[in-house]
Amino acid sequence: MTNLNSWQQLAYYFQHNGSYVLRQFSQHFLISIYGVLLAALVGIPLGIFIAHRKKLSNVIIGVANVIQTVPSLAMLSIIMLGLGLGRRTVIATVFLYSLLPIIKNTYTAMVNVSDNIIDSGIGMGMTSWQLLRMVELPLSLAVIMAGIRNALVVAIGITAIGAFVGAGGLGDIIIRGTNATNGGALILAGALPTALMAIIADITLGFIQRHLEAPQARS
Amino acid sequence: MHKIRQFITSCGLLVGSLLLLSGCRSLGILNHQSQTIRISSLSTTESQILANILSELITHETQNKVTLINNLGSSTVTHESLIRGDADIAASRYAGTELTGTLKMKPTKDPEKAQKIVKKAFKDRYNQTWFPSYGFADTYAFMVTQATAQKYHLETVSDLGKVADQLTAGVDSVWVNHEGDGYPAFKKTYGYDFKKVAPMQIGLVYSALAAGKMDVVLGYSTDGRIKSYALKVLKDDRHFFPPYDASVVATDQILKEQPALAPLLHRLDGKIDLDTMQTLNFKVDNDLLEPAVVAKQFLQEHNYFRKGAAK
Repeated sequence: MTNLNSWQQLAYYFQHNGSYVLRQFSQHFLISIYGVLLAALVGIPLGIFIAHRKKLSNVIIGVANVIQTVPSLAMLSIIMLGLGLGRRTVIATVFLYSLLPIIKNTYTAMVNVSDNIIDSGIGMGMTSWQLLRMVELPLSLAVIMAGIRNALVVAIGITAIGAFVGAGGLGDIIIRGTNATNGGALILAGALPTALMAIIADITLGFIQRHLEAPQARS
Repeated sequence: MHKIRQFITSCGLLVGSLLLLSGCRSLGILNHQSQTIRISSLSTTESQILANILSELITHETQNKVTLINNLGSSTVTHESLIRGDADIAASRYAGTELTGTLKMKPTKDPEKAQKIVKKAFKDRYNQTWFPSYGFADTYAFMVTQATAQKYHLETVSDLGKVADQLTAGVDSVWVNHEGDGYPAFKKTYGYDFKKVAPMQIGLVYSALAAGKMDVVLGYSTDGRIKSYALKVLKDDRHFFPPYDASVVATDQILKEQPALAPLLHRLDGKIDLDTMQTLNFKVDNDLLEPAVVAKQFLQEHNYFRKGAAK
C-alpha cells in the first residue's frame, strides 16, 4: 500500500469498500435529515408564534442563540449524559443546532411581510388563520427554506462529529483514518463524501428556495 | 396558495424519498428495542473487526438487525454502555483489563483463573455473560525498532532498564492511569523510569515509533502494524502485564430475549488465534480494507462457522 500515493490509495479504497461507504453515506444523511426535520416541525410553528407575540421573540431567539454557542463536541457529550450512546444523541444535537436558523428565519420572514398586505387581507375579511395560510406563509416560504438549507448544511458537519458517540456515518471513516498507519487516504475517503453531501444538499435546497421565490404569474 | 401547494409537494417528495431510503435499509431509529441488537466496540482496529464479525454473523444467520456503537474511547465506556442499556453486546472485553479496571480486583498471572474470576463476577454483579475467549490474548507489549534493539542489545523489558533514562516512551493514554497494571505499578515492578512518557491514542504509537518520534512504545501485541513496520517486541520477563484474553460479553437480558443468540456467539469460541487476529488487523491497518469488509470475508471463508462445516 505504501508505494501508492494518496489519490491512488483513495481509488483503491473506494474500489474495495464502496458499498460500505455508501451505507455510511446514507446513514449520515438520514441522521442529519431526521434532526433537521424535527427542528422544522418545532421551529416553524414556534417562529410563527413569536412573530405574532413580539415580546416572546427576544426570549426564544435568545435561548436558541445560546444553544448555538455551545461547541458541538460539548453539546454531544452533554446530551450523551441524558440519551446515552448512539444515533438518538446525534439526532438530538442536530435538532438543537437547527432550531436557531429555522426559528430565526421563520420569524424574520413573518415580521417582514408588509403591513399593507396584511391590512388588505384583514380588509377582505380574512380570519387570522386565513391570513396566515393565504398571505403570510406564501410570502415567507423562501426565507424559511433558506433557514432549513442553512440548518441542513451545518447538520451534515455535526453528524460527522457524531461518530465519537458511536452513531456511525462518514465520521467513522475519518476517525479510522486518524488511527491507521497511513490514514491520509482514509481521512479523504470520509471527508470528501461529507463535503460532497453538504454541497449537494445546499444546491438542491437552494434550487427549491429559488423556485419558491420566483414570481408566479397566477398568484 | 400556489406556492403553498408547491411547498407541500416538495416536502412530500422529500419525505417520500426518505421513506424509500429508509425502507431499503431500515435504520432502527424508531424501533429501537424490538429486533435490533446493539454491539459496542472500542476505537481500536481489533475491536471494530470483532464487532463487525459479530454483526455480520448475527445479520446473516438470524432475522435480527444490528446497530454498531463504534469508537468508544476505553473499556470503561464500553462497560458503562452495557450497564446503562445503550448496548447489548460488547465485542471485545479483555479479562486482564476488566479484572483490575472494572472489578478493581488484584491482577492474576494465570489467564484461565482470570477468565474464571471475571466470568463469575460479571454474572453476579452485572448480570452479564462472559463468553469463552476468541482464542487469542491481546496484551500490552513494549516494542522498539530493530535498529534500537541492536544498538542497545534489547531482548526483554528488563534490558530496557539499563538505557531507559535516555529513552522517550509513547504509551496508550488509557494505560497511564490503570490501577494495578498501569504506569505506577510498572515503575514499581521493573524499578526504572523513562526519560519522558508521552501518553497518546493507542493507534498512533506504532507510526510514532517507526517515524523515530519515540524510542520505545507500549502497544498491543496483536496489532498488524508490528508486522508492517517489522517492530521488535520485548519479552515481558517479569510477567507484569496480566493476560488479556479477548471475549464477547453480552447482557443476560438480550440472551434471554433472543435465545438463538448464545449458540451463535459460541460459534466463535477459540476460532480466532493470535496469528489470525494479526492478519485481520493487518488487512485493515495496512491494506485499507474496512473492518466490515474484512469481517465479511473472514466469515465467508469459514462458512460462518456452521456446524459440520470444515474449518
